Amino acid sequence: MGDKKSIVLETLTNFISFVSPFFFYFFSLENAWRLIPVCFGLFGLMMLIVYVAKIPINYNIRNLKVRYRTTLLTAMAFILVTAVLTGLMGFINGLKRLAQATGNPSNVIVLSQGSTDEGISNLAFENMGDIAQQDGVKRQNDEPLCSRESYLVLSLPIAEPVPGSPTRRLLQVRGLFDPVASAEVHEFGLISGGEWFSEAGVRPSADPNKAPLVEVVLGQGIARQLAGDRAKAVKEKARNKDQLEVGDTIPLDTRELVVTGIMKTEGTTFDSEVWAKQSVIGPLLGKTNFTTLVLRATGPEQAQKLEDFFMGKDKDFKYEKSQVNAFTETNYYKSQSQTSIQLLVGTILVATVMGFGGVMGVMNTMFAAISQRVKDIGMLRLLGFSRWRILVSFLTESLLIALLGGLIGCVLGYMCNGLQATSIIGGGAGPGGKAVVFRVVVDWGVLGIGLTLSMLMGFVGGLIPAMSAMRFKPLESLRG
Amino acid sequence: MKFLMLIFKNLRRNMVRSLLTSAGIMVLVFVITLIWSILGFLDMATSEKAANFKGIVTEKWSIPSQLPFSYAATLEDGAAREESDVKPMDSMTWQFFIGSVDKTNIGFSTFIFAFCMEPKKLLTMMDELDSLQPGPRATLDTAIKAMEGNRQGIIVGQKRLAAIEKKVGDKIKVFGINYRDIELECEIVGTFPPGRYDNNTCINRDYLNASLDAFKAAKGRPHPLAEKTLNLVWVKVPTKDAFSKMSNQIDSSPMFAAPPVKIETASSGVSNFLAAYKDLLMILRYLLAPAIIITLTVVISNAISISVRERRKEMAVLKVIGFQPNQIILLVLGEAILLGVVAGAISSIGTYYFVNRVIGGIPFQIAFFSSFPVLDGALWWGAAIGFITSFAGSILPALSTRSIKVVDVFSKVA
Repeated sequence: MGDKKSIVLETLTNFISFVSPFFFYFFSLENAWRLIPVCFGLFGLMMLIVYVAKIPINYNIRNLKVRYRTTLLTAMAFILVTAVLTGLMGFINGLKRLAQATGNPSNVIVLSQGSTDEGISNLAFENMGDIAQQDGVKRQNDEPLCSRESYLVLSLPIAEPVPGSPTRRLLQVRGLFDPVASAEVHEFGLISGGEWFSEAGVRPSADPNKAPLVEVVLGQGIARQLAGDRAKAVKEKARNKDQLEVGDTIPLDTRELVVTGIMKTEGTTFDSEVWAKQSVIGPLLGKTNFTTLVLRATGPEQAQKLEDFFMGKDKDFKYEKSQVNAFTETNYYKSQSQTSIQLLVGTILVATVMGFGGVMGVMNTMFAAISQRVKDIGMLRLLGFSRWRILVSFLTESLLIALLGGLIGCVLGYMCNGLQATSIIGGGAGPGGKAVVFRVVVDWGVLGIGLTLSMLMGFVGGLIPAMSAMRFKPLESLRG
Repeated sequence: MKFLMLIFKNLRRNMVRSLLTSAGIMVLVFVITLIWSILGFLDMATSEKAANFKGIVTEKWSIPSQLPFSYAATLEDGAAREESDVKPMDSMTWQFFIGSVDKTNIGFSTFIFAFCMEPKKLLTMMDELDSLQPGPRATLDTAIKAMEGNRQGIIVGQKRLAAIEKKVGDKIKVFGINYRDIELECEIVGTFPPGRYDNNTCINRDYLNASLDAFKAAKGRPHPLAEKTLNLVWVKVPTKDAFSKMSNQIDSSPMFAAPPVKIETASSGVSNFLAAYKDLLMILRYLLAPAIIITLTVVISNAISISVRERRKEMAVLKVIGFQPNQIILLVLGEAILLGVVAGAISSIGTYYFVNRVIGGIPFQIAFFSSFPVLDGALWWGAAIGFITSFAGSILPALSTRSIKVVDVFSKVA
């Protein structure tokens, strides 16, 4: 007995270890689109079996039509679960895509020792020059190509807040030493009509009694959001009501920020940022130190080598003048996807529980369908239909409902595609994180997961009733 | 009573269907309970209180707020200058120390996020700790006294303690991340009660300040953050009016020119921090929760529709023996509602006890909240959701029983 138990356990463990890589492979959003052909392929296989085995599929379809109310109610559960899941996965996919699109594999982010987030980094100014001079850093005009940055969050009052809603917007500001070098490192251009801020970082105000205006460039996403924060009177007079444009101003206590350009940053975390001259915005907001040094390496391989060098991964070849944390930009933003992972886990939990509810619904339907058709099953058995054909017949019925519900749910979920949303990306442990504006992405991968969940619900919910149907004895069934 | 017994018997007749429907209700109510608890908790945190207002004083423009510690005494006094000025009922200062117990390996298992503050303020100013039951309060009080006796004492949340694999009585060295080159040698003197502070730690503010002084003495220059060590000041005032007066006192004080400060209610501060989560919370509130409720209604409606269709003969017999159509409607509604209320109540009450007592809260990180308790409302939510969804799901099938004609049913039988 004990041996049998251990054999069963061992088989189960082997099965799980065999299956899990496939599960994780398919449920990674990049590969999940493959689930769509898998779903249709399996359904096609099922239909082929139905055809070859001469299973009376018309009988099942007629039953679905006759009990159309029950069919629709059951499909409704599939539609809701699939639509909600695809919508939520689209949200997470958008966040994940944003983090992935932001990193440039040739860039290396240097933060102070121990810091995993720019928000808590505090780089010593005296070390920055030496760090930038290391081998592997790309040079331009005999100078290392790098971006010295001070990342800070500004708590900006909203002009006329709606009662009950936030009174301030937390605005991410990046103070730059040299905007042109930074633009080259990050490979961002400006939308035509704009220009980078000047060497001084300020320009005189039209009113000579006012302090000079602080020049800023904005990401496209934050330009849209800040347009909504303006006072009603200002908005009515604005040239563009939906987005701030070059020349528009943002009040900041006794100073004003003036927009000199809008960056082409759509689809990256920089889309939510305001860039300004560090020597102006830093002292204005009480942050005079640098938080981040971004180095442009000569290539992705060299960037990885620089990360290893600064992090001291190789004992014989490591940077010893100061201790810093360094990451290739792709690795850094990958680590910033922790929030997405947490949301993904939450979504999978919710989808599983909702799916379980849907399974209960389809089981009810199928059990009821079978109990109403006991005599039909007896007749089919007497006509020579084997047990497994009965099983396939009823399973096909529940899979048809699942396919219908899943497809409609996917269409509803797809309606979320492209919607603008806000959230936070962060590294998980401790404070930090960046507020980001992004677009919901319902792609084939997300649709694949939605359709698979629906089909899985249909399969699990239909299997047990179908198995009970195949056990009926023909004569007893006919007697009722 | 006989009617109730009849409802019970009917439910027992098709146990598989009753159990499947109950299971469906239970899992869906479980999810709604979790979602509503998170949303309810955040709603409470962002709604203004009528009395005992808590205000947060921070740097006016920048986040994280970094003020000189010299601001502390004046702000703790509400910047009162005149006799007639309002003074806080209580106050506390927060200095954040972010560090790691391992200098080279910084990650979840080594991370420390500490509030450096006056230990005694834990029991009077910290949300939830200020309203502890006598037992946990006494335990925490013992740890606080130990911290006051030994300024290197540290209180560590239970999950953090498990993560760093230490126990009360152990000594740890915390290497500063935000305070570079500051290393705090601490002795764990106690833990927080399970729940909200599971991942936090508390260090005596005197120890941090003394360490910064020691840095200056050793290096001959102040620490780069020496003038930026005060992150927040909390003040408690009795009324909204007192809060407004204190707000004016702070805004008009010449003491806080560089950097300037602002005061806002705790609810407003939290609300501003949660703004970035607005869309996620909207999805939970307006998409997920309603979708689950509709799914629940559909599952119940489906089950009851099937049940009614299968029992047309039985209902015709009931009519023959004198049952009125309304009584039959009540019978159908009663079955659905009984199932919904009982399954819903079991689920939400079970969730309340399991999550709060066994898990210690819903582990979901939103802003600075790392876990959420299942709210007391959950004790009745399940029954209410069960009642409403089962009523909504069964009303149409129940009304359809009126159309059952005895003659038609029996003519088919004949």
